[in-house]
Amino acid sequence: MGLVLERLPAGLVWQGTRLADAQGATLHTGFAELDAELPGGGWPAGALIELLAEHPGVGEISLLLPLMQRTPPERWIAWIAPPLLPYAPALAAAGVPLERLLLIQPATADEVLWATRQASAGGSCALVLAWPARLDTAALRRLQLAAEESATPLFLFRTPSAARHASPAALRLQLSPSVDGLRIDILKRRGPPAAHPIHLTLRSGTRQEPPQEPSATPGQTPPPRLTLVG
Amino acid sequence: MLWLALLVPNLPLQVFTRGLAHADTPFAVVDRVGTARILCANTAALALGVQPGQPLSTAQAVAPALQLRPRQPERETALLTEIACWAGRFTPRISLAPPDTVLLEIQASLRLFGGQARIEHELGKGLVQLGVSARLACAPTPLAARWLAACGQGLPASEDWQRGLDALPLAVLGSEGDCSTATLELLHGLGARTLGDVRALPAAGLARRQAQSVSLLLARARGEQPDPRLWFAPPERFHHELALPAPTHNSEALLFAARRLFASLASWLQARHAAIDHCRLRLIHERQPATTLDIILGQAANDEAHLALIARERLDSLPLPAEVCALGLDADHLLAHAPRAEDLFGAPGQARDQAMRLVDRLRARLGEDAIRQLAPVADHRPEAAWQSQAQAQPGRRRATTPGAASNPDAALPDRQRPFWLLPQATAISPQHYTLLGDAERIESGWWDDGDVRRDYYLAQRSDNTLCWIYHELAPPGGWYLQGYFG
Repeated sequence: MGLVLERLPAGLVWQGTRLADAQGATLHTGFAELDAELPGGGWPAGALIELLAEHPGVGEISLLLPLMQRTPPERWIAWIAPPLLPYAPALAAAGVPLERLLLIQPATADEVLWATRQASAGGSCALVLAWPARLDTAALRRLQLAAEESATPLFLFRTPSAARHASPAALRLQLSPSVDGLRIDILKRRGPPAAHPIHLTLRSGTRQEPPQEPSATPGQTPPPRLTLVG
Repeated sequence: MLWLALLVPNLPLQVFTRGLAHADTPFAVVDRVGTARILCANTAALALGVQPGQPLSTAQAVAPALQLRPRQPERETALLTEIACWAGRFTPRISLAPPDTVLLEIQASLRLFGGQARIEHELGKGLVQLGVSARLACAPTPLAARWLAACGQGLPASEDWQRGLDALPLAVLGSEGDCSTATLELLHGLGARTLGDVRALPAAGLARRQAQSVSLLLARARGEQPDPRLWFAPPERFHHELALPAPTHNSEALLFAARRLFASLASWLQARHAAIDHCRLRLIHERQPATTLDIILGQAANDEAHLALIARERLDSLPLPAEVCALGLDADHLLAHAPRAEDLFGAPGQARDQAMRLVDRLRARLGEDAIRQLAPVADHRPEAAWQSQAQAQPGRRRATTPGAASNPDAALPDRQRPFWLLPQATAISPQHYTLLGDAERIESGWWDDGDVRRDYYLAQRSDNTLCWIYHELAPPGGWYLQGYFG
């Protein structure tokens, strides 16, 4: 039986043990470990992707950095209702084209959803990142359709408690910080459930040496190196 | 020469009904000259028994729900002008023939549009958008075209169009006011019923009976005598109004009517090869000054759908002090607009247009300040090293498109900076943090009273989050969290 299935042309019958072939184009994440675990070998280009994290700053920007560096010209990178301030010098130093970054701060939750839908539809954004305050299934479905139609990847940042509810998202990843990077649990993907979490090393360069003593309190630090005097 | 007559039947009525989405309310226009009489009525009113020429009291008796408006001749002229402006996209040679006709000379446009039938089709489509119903007819002379339109006939076969003219009823002679009622009665008394009958009468005899004008008219219509027409010159500014049949608050109804004006504006712009980056919609109230709505675009456009989309977002959130009885649309500062060439492999500038349209739409709904862009600033203090600027207004041109050059002068720090900055540094207790690497001292700001003396560290919080914290060196000291590396 298995042999018969193997001989069939690719894409005709999907087997549960394999990752689904991506329906549309995919975008490389920039991390080989993550690409290997995603259907089609990257972020789905026209789909809703949920990233669940406890609070901002777990490493989500570093995760999307390769994607932001590679945006095609004349398309926006839309950040809708970010919880904190995206820091321009750091983004510029990391190679994010700031002139293409559009920061949208709607006043109400309804307007956040509206703006997200506008940005994902129409294909004028290369990438949409949104931090919606509240979402229901109907709103999620609408966002999924908008992203699908325009082939714009839409990343929604939500809290881990959202994992309890069903979602039409094509991909749901739970992000949590680890000692040297980011731990990613794949909660949902088109394919078999992920067996183990993925660890991405994001900051090998920043850590010069492991802390000498685990309880190195900030009070006993070496004298500061003076880098500049105003 | 080929003339196309565009005749607007019931013009006094259409001035009001073009802004009306549903035609099921009985509506009539009243002539105030002498005793008040019904001048024309829409189909719903006619079905109830209202008839043109009826005294007002009779009409109100048969249809108590009848909405009435007095005739406004100046609005009729304005509508005719508006149609003439709009028709400028089909031919530059346009002539007004009051009271109800616009004449287009389309001989030179035939090849561009692909024939007379295509032009008529396009005209018909456009008139629907304007909200005007009109009768079209073509003929080699302006007068013949107009008479054919008045009788609701198409063009007779090209060879014997003059014979087709002979079959027209006598009444068309009076349509332009060139032929007095007395002359028409005289001809009727002579037994003439069609133009052919009139032509058969001896010319000398007609001249003796003060009916020479009839022979002249017929000669003009048949092309035997010249019929010079004054060309219409489109105005430099777009300034048109549209009366609503009944005052309303409803934004949907207002938008419906505004679409008519936008369609007219778009054609006017097309005829002038121009675009606008802002226009003003005036919502005119009965007894209060008009509410104005400025529609500002990020990029010059001449597309009615885009204008209507932005107007919708603005209208939805606009508080109206009173009911609106008319709409006005003004546009004056025209910008040169080069139409984009069609490309076999996709339109090259399309992505940029779309990007600007998104910004326009977001700005119309969320407000100017909700859409920002970030830029680094050369300053050592982290909280002063960035700025956010509103997306540029069309008035002052700045880097408005994605892909425009950013500010390359801003010095970027050589040390790693966090992706997230807290709006306000928060005090922390240092026990939960492990320092990574050595300190970076930032000490500056004496020039603007924002003096800081801080030692910055990379630190890992107990939940493994990488943070940017600093030790305040100036009293009272303390540890603060300023950002996350994300």
